[in-house]
Amino acid sequence: MGITAPVAAGDALASVQQLITQEAVSAYAKASGDFNPIHIDAEFAAGSHFGRRIAHGMMIAATVSELMAGAFGLDWARSGKLKLRFRAPVFPGDQIETRGTIKNVEGLEGGGRRITCTVVTVRVRQDPEEGDSEEAAITSLASVVVA
Amino acid sequence: MNDTLVDYSSLAAGQSVSRQVYLLDAQTVSAYIAAVADASPIAGSEFVPPMAVAALSVRGVVNDLRIPGGTLHLGQEIEFVDAVRVGETITCAAELSQNSLRGGSRILVVDLSVTAEDGKTVMTGKSTISVPV
Repeated sequence: MGITAPVAAGDALASVQQLITQEAVSAYAKASGDFNPIHIDAEFAAGSHFGRRIAHGMMIAATVSELMAGAFGLDWARSGKLKLRFRAPVFPGDQIETRGTIKNVEGLEGGGRRITCTVVTVRVRQDPEEGDSEEAAITSLASVVVA
Repeated sequence: MNDTLVDYSSLAAGQSVSRQVYLLDAQTVSAYIAAVADASPIAGSEFVPPMAVAALSVRGVVNDLRIPGGTLHLGQEIEFVDAVRVGETITCAAELSQNSLRGGSRILVVDLSVTAEDGKTVMTGKSTISVPV
């Protein structure tokens, strides 16, 4: 597992698409131990300012890590740095897409390169009449050291 | 989620707020991979998807700080230092680094640290959350 192709600034990484379901959100609550009712309790969430249940931020952020692991393999687990902001909620039923682009490649003293990527996760709204639109749910900067 | 109230205004920077030990056995890791539908090459290998480690470190904060419903996760920083193998036990510790009021919410910034069985750090991080007041 590791980087298999040359990389340069501007290169796009393979994106990750997912349909976020309430079943998956509930499964994430069990797997992560985060049972905040905003994620799993419809009645509680209806009274929140979101008006309905939302996915865990870290659940959606997992697609950022999936994208980086897909591109850089174990190097990501051994040297990855991630700084992300949660900008908008993701609701069960939303289609999301996480996309990454290489921002820069920096040679390191002693060998290796640090590759920095901008990554954005968007909610994709599909409207047959008005067309698709997107809203950024997470924006992030991710970097990794490779040989 | 815990119903016991915490007086968040009394928490001070530098205070330890969580320390939890987790066994990352195959069942635990598989449940995480299934929940997030991780299709990366790390998922299903002998290694744990690194974000699973981060999720558990946040779990300690959520549970030990008795984070109330309505809390928002505003931002997250993570630095993965080493890969964790399935079957390993990790220790997740968290320390409050900032506690402030902003716009009617209490902003807590928590520094995260995860160590492996041999005591070596495998992840560090920083969570920024907004707790309703």
